[in-house]
Amino acid sequence: MDLLSFARGPALQFAIGVFCFGVTWRLAILLFTPQARDLTPARKGALPSPIAGGREVFRRMWPEIHPTGSNMFTTINGYVFHLGLAVIVFGFAPHIQLIKSIFGTAWPSLPNFVIHIAGGVTIASLIAALVKRLTSPVLRLISTLDDYISWAVTIAPLITGYMLVGRLIQPYNTALAVHILSFVVLLIWLPFGKLMHAFIVFISRARTGAYLNHRGAQL
Amino acid sequence: MTKDRTLGEHMSRRGISRRAFGKYCAYLASTMALSPKMAPAMAQGLAAARRQAVIWLSFQECTGCTESFTRSYSPTLEDLIFDFISLDYHHTLQAASGEAAELAREQSMEENKGKYIVVVDGSVPTKDGGVYSMIAGHTNVDILASTIENAFAVVAVGTCAAFGGLPYAKPNPTGAVAISELVGNKPLINIPGCPPVPEAMTGTIAHILAFGSLPELDDKHRPLAFFGESIHDRCYRRSFYERGLFAKSFDDEGARKGWCLYEVGCKGPIAYNTCATTKWNGGTSFPIQSGHTCFACGSPNFWDQGGFYKSLPSRTSSIGTVAGATAAAGVALGAGAALIAANRKKQYSKET
Amino acid sequence: MSNLIDRRAPENTTPFVTGLADAVLREIAELLDTLIETGETGIIDLHSLPMTDADRDMLKEGLGEGEVRVDLDVAGPSRIEETGTAGVWWVRHEGADGRIAAELIEVTRIPEILLSHPDDIREGRTRLREHLDEAGETGTEELAE
Ligand code: SF4
Repeated sequence: MDLLSFARGPALQFAIGVFCFGVTWRLAILLFTPQARDLTPARKGALPSPIAGGREVFRRMWPEIHPTGSNMFTTINGYVFHLGLAVIVFGFAPHIQLIKSIFGTAWPSLPNFVIHIAGGVTIASLIAALVKRLTSPVLRLISTLDDYISWAVTIAPLITGYMLVGRLIQPYNTALAVHILSFVVLLIWLPFGKLMHAFIVFISRARTGAYLNHRGAQL
Repeated sequence: MTKDRTLGEHMSRRGISRRAFGKYCAYLASTMALSPKMAPAMAQGLAAARRQAVIWLSFQECTGCTESFTRSYSPTLEDLIFDFISLDYHHTLQAASGEAAELAREQSMEENKGKYIVVVDGSVPTKDGGVYSMIAGHTNVDILASTIENAFAVVAVGTCAAFGGLPYAKPNPTGAVAISELVGNKPLINIPGCPPVPEAMTGTIAHILAFGSLPELDDKHRPLAFFGESIHDRCYRRSFYERGLFAKSFDDEGARKGWCLYEVGCKGPIAYNTCATTKWNGGTSFPIQSGHTCFACGSPNFWDQGGFYKSLPSRTSSIGTVAGATAAAGVALGAGAALIAANRKKQYSKET
Repeated sequence: MSNLIDRRAPENTTPFVTGLADAVLREIAELLDTLIETGETGIIDLHSLPMTDADRDMLKEGLGEGEVRVDLDVAGPSRIEETGTAGVWWVRHEGADGRIAAELIEVTRIPEILLSHPDDIREGRTRLREHLDEAGETGTEELAE
């Protein structure tokens, strides 16, 4: 079996297995672990919890720059690479084809030059994020190995993808295999590290929103 | 014996001048992307060479490679290759049969020890002692081993010989293997394709004749001159690919406008071959130009790439079952763990 | 059946100018320099350049039309023309079916393929001599009768 067949076949299959297992496992623990009931009565004027939770999810989507501008970089940069990733994953024709072959739906793709630009910007943005993490004393102190691994497995498919379309690895078959394998690594790591935020972020925001609302905090 | 004469002498007896060599080599240099300055030296080498003894072995194959080989395009120019080589053994083309045919093979091997070229088409079955393909009572494995022993080089033509091809496709009932598995360190050239482009076969042989050495090969033993670039890299529909203009089916507006065939299953990006430049049938066309996808017939495992009409990035293995089963296991384990924890907590609070 | 086939040419093959003609002309000028200074000949394989029809026309125009035109019949037709730029030859080899097998620009006093090859000359002489000898023999036989 050549590398490409391995990457597209068993490797991808295995990674998807690990991914599905990991994600459902962690979500199940989160959702099935009984929580201590909050027995306090809700504050006056508090919204019903689901609404408060939902509102918090949307409220936090809107960037909020601190008056001192201290979080300016992390906020903007965070948006840049998240949006960049979305454009690449959901806008590039080959990616749409993969999604179509799994979920059966497809949508129009973006021209390649848009993807190339998004790729360049996203890579730059991720590198900037790492530089920030390494140079800011506070960020550095609270960073764990998880952060660095999560960063690496996120940027890896971008870089291998760039090498693939830019023909920096020859032949194409090998380049494609390497790109798929880097995605395989990402899939395997995702449920077990901080990248799991992709699934948990809205749950935790909703819960925080509901909790604070219950306590009468002004948001 | 005519074999003692140089090709130059041989041809001039037939009224073919040295200009024909010059023209042939100009053509060869051009198709092989060699510097045109090399053409005169090649012509010189070719004229001074002896007629090349070629033994053609056909194993698990469909004879498509031979059909292709004999259709090298121009009846005058390209046909010269048949004057340059002496095809001493070839099931389909030789007049002799039975004992006489086998004798011709042995005789040529004896006379041209260390100098003859063995061309192989078809893969070799190895399962059950190799009984699935036998010639004159001998297995393909044995015939190959004895024939290449004193050969100068082995040329595996067609994807079956080069990479196993169709017989090798799942579930490979005969235990077929590519020729590369059986040649040890004999010099090997692979010219894959189903069938290979005729010019790639004749060009490679002519190159050996003119230079007395193998052409430059890639890591899969393919001549770089013909297999150095992918179909996608030389495809005239490439600009549509870049612009994201794809045919969604073979009869839609996009297909009529000649847009890229990526989404209907084109494997051009992983297909290393010369079809897009050399083309077929005397430069008439090639599959993509005729409106069909490329299915990478010259690539290893092309038959098992998940389907000719499934796009290249499509999954090649079933994912649904794996995803479902692992997700179920995840939920069960996660929920189980959560409940156990809850139980323990209850017990703990009871105890205290 | 034929109505199923779309015979329209693919959209992007409409001729357009890529600027290659200009590059080739510059290269030819340099090869001419070399030919004049050192006598070394030069050659360009047009087949290896992705030239459009329009590029080709531009190149032809740039070189002009010359005085010499030779048709060869060597394993299919070939046409060799000196362009309007002396020393620059346009060589076109075809197979029997008229497809271009090779197309070259040669920068030289005369393309080598036009010169008789020494081996061919020797072969020609041998054949002529054999013919003369045969004729001589038959001649004596006739006399003897
Ligand atoms: S038709 Fe195939 S080879 Fe041509 S550009 Fe599209 S994907 Fe590439």
